[in-house]
Amino acid sequence: MKLKKYIYFTIFVFLFLSLIACSTENGEVDVASENNENINPDVQEPAPFDGWVEGLPQITAPEGFDWKQFEGVELNFISENTPPSSAIAANIELFEEVTGIKVNIEQTDLATVVEKVGLDFNAQSAKYHLIYADPYQILAKQSEHFFDLNHFINESTMPQIPGGLEDFSASQLEAAGYMGDKEELYALPYDNPTMVLAYRTDVFEKYKDLFEEEMGYDWTPDEDMTWDEYYEIAKWITEKADEGVITEVEYGTGHQAKQHDSLMADFSNILAANGGDYFEKDDLGTIGSTDPGASAMDSDIAIESAEFYNKLLQVADPGSLSWDWTGVAEGFASGNIAMIPEWHEFSAMFEDENSSNIVGNVAWTTMPTGKEGKAHTYGGTGIGINKYASDEEIKAAWLFIVWSTSPQAQYMILKSDEGGSTPTRNSVYELEDVQKGMEPGTPESEEMPNLLAMKPTLKAWESENAYMRPKIPQWPQVDTFIFTELSKMLAGQQTPEEAVKEIADQTNRLTNK
Amino acid sequence: MQTNVDKAWKNKLEAKRIKKRFSTEFWMLLPSMILLAIISIFPFLYLIYASFMDFSISFENPEFIGLGNWKYVLSDTLFWSSWGRTILYVGIGLVLQLFIGVGMALAIFHLPKGKNIVVTLWMIPVFVAPVVAGLLGRYLLNSTYGLYDWLLSLFGMETQVLGNISTSMPAIILMDVWEWTPLITLIVLAGLNSLSSEPLEAADVDGANYFQKLTYVILPLIAKTIVVALLVRSMDILRFVDKIRIATEGGPADSTKVVGYYLMEVAFKFQDFGSGSVLGLTMLVVTIFLGQFFVKFMMGKE
Repeated sequence: MKLKKYIYFTIFVFLFLSLIACSTENGEVDVASENNENINPDVQEPAPFDGWVEGLPQITAPEGFDWKQFEGVELNFISENTPPSSAIAANIELFEEVTGIKVNIEQTDLATVVEKVGLDFNAQSAKYHLIYADPYQILAKQSEHFFDLNHFINESTMPQIPGGLEDFSASQLEAAGYMGDKEELYALPYDNPTMVLAYRTDVFEKYKDLFEEEMGYDWTPDEDMTWDEYYEIAKWITEKADEGVITEVEYGTGHQAKQHDSLMADFSNILAANGGDYFEKDDLGTIGSTDPGASAMDSDIAIESAEFYNKLLQVADPGSLSWDWTGVAEGFASGNIAMIPEWHEFSAMFEDENSSNIVGNVAWTTMPTGKEGKAHTYGGTGIGINKYASDEEIKAAWLFIVWSTSPQAQYMILKSDEGGSTPTRNSVYELEDVQKGMEPGTPESEEMPNLLAMKPTLKAWESENAYMRPKIPQWPQVDTFIFTELSKMLAGQQTPEEAVKEIADQTNRLTNK
Repeated sequence: MQTNVDKAWKNKLEAKRIKKRFSTEFWMLLPSMILLAIISIFPFLYLIYASFMDFSISFENPEFIGLGNWKYVLSDTLFWSSWGRTILYVGIGLVLQLFIGVGMALAIFHLPKGKNIVVTLWMIPVFVAPVVAGLLGRYLLNSTYGLYDWLLSLFGMETQVLGNISTSMPAIILMDVWEWTPLITLIVLAGLNSLSSEPLEAADVDGANYFQKLTYVILPLIAKTIVVALLVRSMDILRFVDKIRIATEGGPADSTKVVGYYLMEVAFKFQDFGSGSVLGLTMLVVTIFLGQFFVKFMMGKE
């Protein structure tokens, strides 16, 4: 009997240790083209992809490069359910026909993407070859699992990034592409949603005189509007709607204040505009850091900002407490609300008759100004490659990245019927029709409705106006502390001072763990 | 003497045969035992191992931190408050499901006609995936276009059900009750259908009314079936967090963050497998105790 027990025990221990030790080391990847002996890197030839227009940097490959060399390779791309991925999925045959590579695009909510990517990386299984690399939820924590794209940038036998890295916004490339330092490039900017202010032109025009008569100033939202004025106007509209004076809307403002990442993004616009941030260390938002230092949420600025946010939500549509970004967009599109801070890519939804009652009645401007200036939460994402994929899959994935982030693909996404996203490429914004599309009422703006939000968005991307949240490995936890405690504040369970102190305590406890 | 020798020889033969049989059984059982070990025992051992490791820096090379994760989790107020909400969620949910489920089973049992159609219709929610049940709840209670929200507003209830701390948990409980009460009904109905008619006839002869028959005959006879139904549901309700994830994501103000959701958040969103393992082990212990409680109750009935 003893012997039998020993045998059982030995089998268990052996299998247990085998499971723990079951990991594979990834060796160096040969990133050269398959037929590199026939390639002349000194001569670049245009790629056979449809969709290029005059004025955009073209996708090219060295002479002799075989675009079909990875034919039959199947790539899995996991992405958040966002307009660019929908547009890419709708037009994927453009890529598949030229390369023969099959791309399966799985779109789901961001939380699921974070979970699945985390499990895939930790198992080193490369179920997903192409990763929607959210800089804050994924890249900051998982950067070691991404393939360094510099290998391809230094490889003359493979297609290069059309227009070069310079064609991306420098700050967006830093935020979406790097982590900790600029030694490795993990992802290329893929989308760039940024929070700006949407408002109802019909309401603001109709009651302009009445407001001016009562309050003494022109209330039309513009770049000079302050957060105090925003509150005053929102309160006035809510009260007038309640009295039956204003009939077009029921509330002055709406917010994405559900216990969700969206609440942090919404609050950050105010915190950062007042000169505050979540950590004492500066500039954690671009390159990022593994050591964020102490929390700054016990500062007076944080308390004041939380007090203001709490006050603002008292006059907002009560649905705000159950809305994320989609919820508040639906509330605004239904016609109930006069103003909302929202991601600029929702412009297409507001101009779509199938999803909106306010088509043609929406204008966009920059966020109101706080005590120290303006802040617009940036929520852009990159696209990267899972380093545990095979050499062939990694090279095929690079072709996909070159194509999907190229100016011509970004332009195609902008024009897509799927709602479109706004390009991450500077060169696209220089096209004449894109410039025209930023003006309301033009045929181009009807064709590319997301451009209607672009003027304030371009302003929002300027370094002094953009707010990039801390890019640190602990961000998913810190983010949860922030939106949970703010949610408790909005529910009346704690004061603004208690809420920010709790965020600071929890954050410091985590980083000192 | 000869007899003793024969006996010893026979015993030896018997022992050899038993050993051989055991040996055969051992080898036949081995594959399934290995499979069981892979899918159940090793993950459990790994869970214990992970609870002493810190995965925050690297998953491949976790650091041994002793009781660090245990201290971190057990000193976290969210851990205890999420357990408090879990008790509320499980307790109220199970009680409602028990009363409605048994009541419905009795009603169907006594239906003179159309039992099958009623059972089929009543069972529909069970076939809906929990994620879909959460989505249905979220859409129906949406303040912009939700049907239930609109109906509530007709009665002057202008509250945001999923955005209010006093209504969000009841809403989640009701979603679970809507989806899983039919399962209790089905199990109890099976118990009712297998009841012997003699005790009921005897009660009729004794002049018992329906309430007396129910209290003293039917319920005692189906008590074990009810316990089985509760055992199944209690295991599930602790683990299933799909509806919470879809409808409220633990909010507002953590009012729907039960321990299962908290575990999912820690392990998969934060990728903190060390703390997640501690949470998982505490859930396992509670589940075992709960199971033992129900099993002992059943054994007591026997």
